[in-house]
Amino acid sequence: MPLRVRLTLWYGSALATVLITFSVVLYVITARNLRDDVDESLKETAATAVRSLEERGFLPLLDEEDLLSQFPELARIDKFFQIFSPSGTITIRSPNIKRYEVPLSQKALETAFLGQSLLETTKYPNEPQLRLISAPITYRGNFLYYIVQVGTSMESIEDTLRHFFILLTVAVPIALAVSLAAGWFLAGRALRPVDAITLAAQRIAGGDLSQRLAMQTAPDEIGRLVETFNNMIGRLEASFRQIRQFTSDASHELRTPLTVMKGETELVLRRARPLEDYHTVLESNLEEIDRMARIVDELLFLSRADMGAVKIELLPVSLEALVEDIHRQATVLGQDRTIEVVLGTIVPARVQGDELRLRELLLNLVENAVKYSNPKGKVTINLITEGQQAIISVTDQGIGIAPDNQHKIFNRFFRTVEARTHTKKGTGLGLAICSWIAETHKGCISVQSELGQGSTFTVTLPLAPRPA
Amino acid sequence: MRVLVIEDETKVGCFIKRALEEESYAVDLCEDGAKGFEMALATNYDLLVVDLMLPSMSGMDILRAVRRERIQTPVLILTAQSQIDQRVKGLDAGADDYLTKPFAIDELLARVRALLRRGVTESFGILQVDDLVLNLATREVTRSGQRIDLTLKEYALLEYLMRHTRRVLTRPMISEHVWNQDFDTFTNVIDVYVNYLRNKIDRGRTKKLIHTIRGSGYMLKAD
Repeated sequence: MPLRVRLTLWYGSALATVLITFSVVLYVITARNLRDDVDESLKETAATAVRSLEERGFLPLLDEEDLLSQFPELARIDKFFQIFSPSGTITIRSPNIKRYEVPLSQKALETAFLGQSLLETTKYPNEPQLRLISAPITYRGNFLYYIVQVGTSMESIEDTLRHFFILLTVAVPIALAVSLAAGWFLAGRALRPVDAITLAAQRIAGGDLSQRLAMQTAPDEIGRLVETFNNMIGRLEASFRQIRQFTSDASHELRTPLTVMKGETELVLRRARPLEDYHTVLESNLEEIDRMARIVDELLFLSRADMGAVKIELLPVSLEALVEDIHRQATVLGQDRTIEVVLGTIVPARVQGDELRLRELLLNLVENAVKYSNPKGKVTINLITEGQQAIISVTDQGIGIAPDNQHKIFNRFFRTVEARTHTKKGTGLGLAICSWIAETHKGCISVQSELGQGSTFTVTLPLAPRPA
Repeated sequence: MRVLVIEDETKVGCFIKRALEEESYAVDLCEDGAKGFEMALATNYDLLVVDLMLPSMSGMDILRAVRRERIQTPVLILTAQSQIDQRVKGLDAGADDYLTKPFAIDELLARVRALLRRGVTESFGILQVDDLVLNLATREVTRSGQRIDLTLKEYALLEYLMRHTRRVLTRPMISEHVWNQDFDTFTNVIDVYVNYLRNKIDRGRTKKLIHTIRGSGYMLKAD
């Protein structure tokens, strides 16, 4: 069931319960109050009549004219009255009752003998109810002379109550209907932004992540929902774009070696050729296979790192020993290309880290420095401490990086045009891995560079706390 | 037919060049976008093969610049991206065809043939002058139904002559379309190859097809 219908129904049933309860209570209270008023009035009238008759030395009277002339207040009352003898026979009765015999009930008679008044209700067919009070008229309080009965028709009260009832039975459903309509309208209005959100969400689910909910962002629940929703889509879009870029880059990097292998192999197979041609192609293919294997390894490492599946074991590592070891390896690398790798300032420094990963990080940086140096260039490695930080820098005099590209080189697969032109080797993933390793050691990696002049890569790692 | 290949991946460029050369095309290879564009302006190529991702000037920029210079040379683009929008953009920018890497050599050669056949579509890829017939698809040459075996260079020269029959073809025109940039203009290589062709096509026949136009060049015609 749609929310709008449910809201309206809930609201309607709550309102109906309240209205009906209220009406019933109102009706009951009104009815009782009206009856109480009648009873009060009857009691007062009876009391007045009894008092008058007793005070004036009421003696047997002949008829009502005598009585009315003696007690004019009786004639003024809007009720009828009867006076019974102690035996229960009617002695006198007021003219406005003549049509009916209203006998004194046995119970009223008994009550009168006890010196008490009694209120009763009696009903004749096709007539409104009658309310009666029977009060004893006594001499000095213990001798019963007469019983005076005052009665009144309940017609006007019944009329009033009937009208009131009709009013309620008509007015309550109308009020309910109007309220339901208003509730339906209000629920619709309150839910309209929800519908808009649903539509937008459907469009977005359809693949268009550039969609946003454009709505007046009042700081209410809907406004907050819209904002949250838009933020969520924004983050989704960004990560989708990143993934798409990454996939496209990865496929490009993998397609190039595939293109080479496929093309060279097909070409050499097109006709019979000298043996050395096949040899050349196989050697070339081997190079490409190595390149793909390296890309796949690095990609796998990065995706495992992204998933948090790469375990880093933090143990004390002596950085100066590590740097000296790397220096020895790099010297060999540099010799082939007449590049000199030298140690600058080296101070003792200990960090908490995974030696294997830190070695990978530093070796990568030094290899890069050698790779992007020009022949007869110089690569300098420094290790210093500053406050609670160990700072390792690798400086080369190589091709350098343009300022625009300096923040991009840590992105996956990004290689500058200069780097691509300088060497075909390189996957564009090394620095992304370096950056990840530095960050998992709570450190960071940065670059200062000038195009054509050289680059300095700086790794900052927190020093291990001194053993107590 | 002379082809310019602009491709920055050295190995890819090399095997494309070699594959095309084995099909008798004269091929120039360039690894840099801007330099490739200059070469495309300087020489009247019959076909450009352009990679989209290039240093200094992207393939798309080369394509647009070439078309802005009103050069109508067919262009085949190579792309590593399989996304449709890249191909659509390339075709809209004036490319005549595209290939997605990695591609099959046979497909590359078929597309190159198709692009170069554009001028002769009416004859279904068959060039004919009198009883001399050249099939562009099979590269088979016959005269009076007799098969004639030609070397790659001879074939390239004959194809060029047959594509431009009844027109005087000067030595610079021939060298521009049949030889690549390594060709040394100060030799008589063209005359030597024309003689080879004469030996295979006209020798022993009463009707000569290859004519020397004194002082200017050569012409292929039936009468």
